[in-house]
Amino acid sequence: MADLQTAAPLGEVSEFSADGGGAVLQVRPDFAMVQVFAKTGKAGELAQKLDIVSDPGKAGDTSSFAALPLSPGQWMLIADNANANTFGQEITEQISGLGYVSEQSDARICIRVSGPNARDLMARGCRLDLHPSVTAKGFCAQTQMAQVGVLIHQVSDEPAYDLYVYAGFARSFWHWLTETAAQF
Amino acid sequence: MHQIDCPWCGVRDEAEFQYQGDASVTRPDPDAGEDDFFSYVYVRDNPKGWHTEWWHHNGGCRQWVKVVRNTATHEIHATGLPRDGLPVPQARLKP
Ligand SMILES: [Zn+2]
Repeated sequence: MADLQTAAPLGEVSEFSADGGGAVLQVRPDFAMVQVFAKTGKAGELAQKLDIVSDPGKAGDTSSFAALPLSPGQWMLIADNANANTFGQEITEQISGLGYVSEQSDARICIRVSGPNARDLMARGCRLDLHPSVTAKGFCAQTQMAQVGVLIHQVSDEPAYDLYVYAGFARSFWHWLTETAAQF
Repeated sequence: MHQIDCPWCGVRDEAEFQYQGDASVTRPDPDAGEDDFFSYVYVRDNPKGWHTEWWHHNGGCRQWVKVVRNTATHEIHATGLPRDGLPVPQARLKP
């Protein structure tokens, strides 16, 4: 019988700072994340129940979690410092009869991109226009960077971005991101 | 490079989409017979000009987008949801 052990997708790595001080990458631990799917015709009611918005590109903040619209009737709910099991259970109970919940906390890693050159670093791989005249705090989008699917959440106007990347692509994406950030 | 206006995400680069074929064919009734199903699965027009087609936004919202595209010029005339009936320009090509 194999001796199974738990391991973080990026191992012990938790931070990278570019030598020039322009970009800082931090692996964010301890968030809980669930994907929510509204039943047919129930998206409005579900959004009301959770007090979240449905507009594409606009993350909603409640007191206990951020809600990122993914597509019609679908959201990713992200809670800081929360227990994955408890959070999933809470949401499941709240939206009973209106939708479904899929626990995703271990499916993705979260990398926070910050520093004076955060936007320049994003521009190296992100096709979306992240100019301050276009996006601000609260912006979110699913897109691809370095050919990897990324859920982007702009968490401050500074700016800073949280990038949610599938765990299976974590090492590849981290490698590309750190190599690219090094110039800043 | 195409830029496709996804009804949910807004304008995104073609690289985020996957072409999924002709959006003008409709599935026959289950008892329609082998010939109809052969046509439905395999037989396609190959128009030079406007074409209504599926693009899957797999790098974004993962929804299916209906697109009216000109196969000769790559101009995109309209995009919409799968249920939308999109206008197809009369002229096959721009003069
Ligand atoms: Zn889309």
